[in-house]
Amino acid sequence: MVEITNVTKRFYSLTAINNVSLQIPRGGVVGLLGPNGAGKTTLLKLIAGLLNPDSGRIRPTTRYWPAIGYKPERLLFPNQLRVSQYLEIVAGLSDVTRIDAEKAVFEALARVSLLEAAGKKIKDCSKGMRQRLGLAQVLIGDPPLLLLDEPANGLDPEGQADIHRCIQELHAGGKTILMSSHQLPEVTEVCTHLVILNEGQVYYQNSMVDALTVRPHTIVHTDQDLAPLRERLQALHPDIQVEANTVILRNEAMALRREVLTAVLQAGLDVIHVAQRNVTLAEIYAEAVQ
Amino acid sequence: MQRILVMIRYLLHSLFTSLAGLLYVLVAVVFWLLFFDPRQGTPEAEYYVLVIGAFGVAVSFLLTLSIASRANRAVNYPLLVRLPSRVEYLTAVFVSALIAAVLLQLLVAALALFRGPALMPGQALELPPIWLAPNILAAALALHASDFVAAGWSRVYVFGVLALFLFGQGIDNTFLSGFVASLNRFFLEQGWFEVSNALSDFSNGMSNSDTNVLSRILGFIFWPFRAIVEASVNGYFTPTQALAPAILLLYATILFMLAADLFANKDIEFTE
Repeated sequence: MVEITNVTKRFYSLTAINNVSLQIPRGGVVGLLGPNGAGKTTLLKLIAGLLNPDSGRIRPTTRYWPAIGYKPERLLFPNQLRVSQYLEIVAGLSDVTRIDAEKAVFEALARVSLLEAAGKKIKDCSKGMRQRLGLAQVLIGDPPLLLLDEPANGLDPEGQADIHRCIQELHAGGKTILMSSHQLPEVTEVCTHLVILNEGQVYYQNSMVDALTVRPHTIVHTDQDLAPLRERLQALHPDIQVEANTVILRNEAMALRREVLTAVLQAGLDVIHVAQRNVTLAEIYAEAVQ
Repeated sequence: MQRILVMIRYLLHSLFTSLAGLLYVLVAVVFWLLFFDPRQGTPEAEYYVLVIGAFGVAVSFLLTLSIASRANRAVNYPLLVRLPSRVEYLTAVFVSALIAAVLLQLLVAALALFRGPALMPGQALELPPIWLAPNILAAALALHASDFVAAGWSRVYVFGVLALFLFGQGIDNTFLSGFVASLNRFFLEQGWFEVSNALSDFSNGMSNSDTNVLSRILGFIFWPFRAIVEASVNGYFTPTQALAPAILLLYATILFMLAADLFANKDIEFTE
């Protein structure tokens, strides 16, 4: 639905987004994960058209640019308005006719369980209500592309579960969603695709099914320090890691297990223990943000 | 059109339900009390036209700044992304400011009619072009003064050029020929004799001429303002003066198009 190709965005000397390429598939829920300052909000603003890329391009894969619903990270609203008044304005801007506006507002409020607050002034709404209102305004006008910047931020577990349920329903309804988050469990729960950003670069991107597929590592413990063998072992594959008396073979290096063991034994060292363990998404994320 | 109208309603509601909006109404009433003291009355129609016209210009400029500042708040990100073109958003800001300014101007105008001048039908018909054209120009100029539209050094360029035009009106041939003579000396030192000779001839020609070239050219730019004031004082437009409001609208169009181009291409970083 949206294709991002070699996009770079700088703010004076700071490179917020550095040569990022991504595809947001139609009907997918893409989770943007990364620490503060990773470039998640900047990327969302670039797609929303609020910022212009310094280089690269962002374009729809269809002929027309899709209508966009955007929920910013900060929960800022015109406080003097009532919840329903605000949503009616959004409806008016989304080409919803006056006759249909009331229905659209009702449906959006019902979807985020905020009907009871329809007549309430926004300034009197709690944080949870404001977070729901942020999601409700995104739904008005039925835009096919939703950009959600930390949609469940600051909510209690029950509120978070509600928002997650709502996102899952939207996904089931065919919406394309790009959401940013700091929380790995949130992304694994609701997203179909995962992108890990750090320092403006895409560190990892995969479908959630593949990302969650168990990826075994082999760990070889020896009786002596492996420092003299370090260069020889690492020359076998870049994914081979040598630490004190341990060799860690990751991913692609798995096939080299036999060669590693041979090299260790030929060097006159004893292999004390060989173990396999699974790599979790949390470890991938931790590695990305290190 | 519906989207622009929705934005206009939202922006006007936001202004007039705030303290700033109430202050503007208060300023309008105070202005009326100061300049059209109901105890004395104002018999001259020319005074009425000019003073309320000047009020409209000032209030258009200030209201555009106020509304642009409101439109520049982060609460409006979700609204802006809904619009297919950013120019719709800018148009809404511009028209909202004009509507608010005209409402305040009409408030003062209506109050000032109390023990004020008796306007002839002809004079009343001349009010819209006399009042509206400068208001529109003031609003278009104010857009460039706001953070909402300004990008990079744009504010410096727009108001720098304006200042140069104002300054240039007072420049006579002596100053200009002196400046050209300095250029002439510079090129002479560089050995660019052909350029130097041409500049020397131009400088001498200007020194001997009675016509202040630059001042006349720049004077023409500001002619519509003088024409409107003269027409207001005289109580009627001559056929040439009748062009003045149209020329002001042309200036406003150029400024608005420039503002639209700046706003459409800038990075939107609303204030939080």
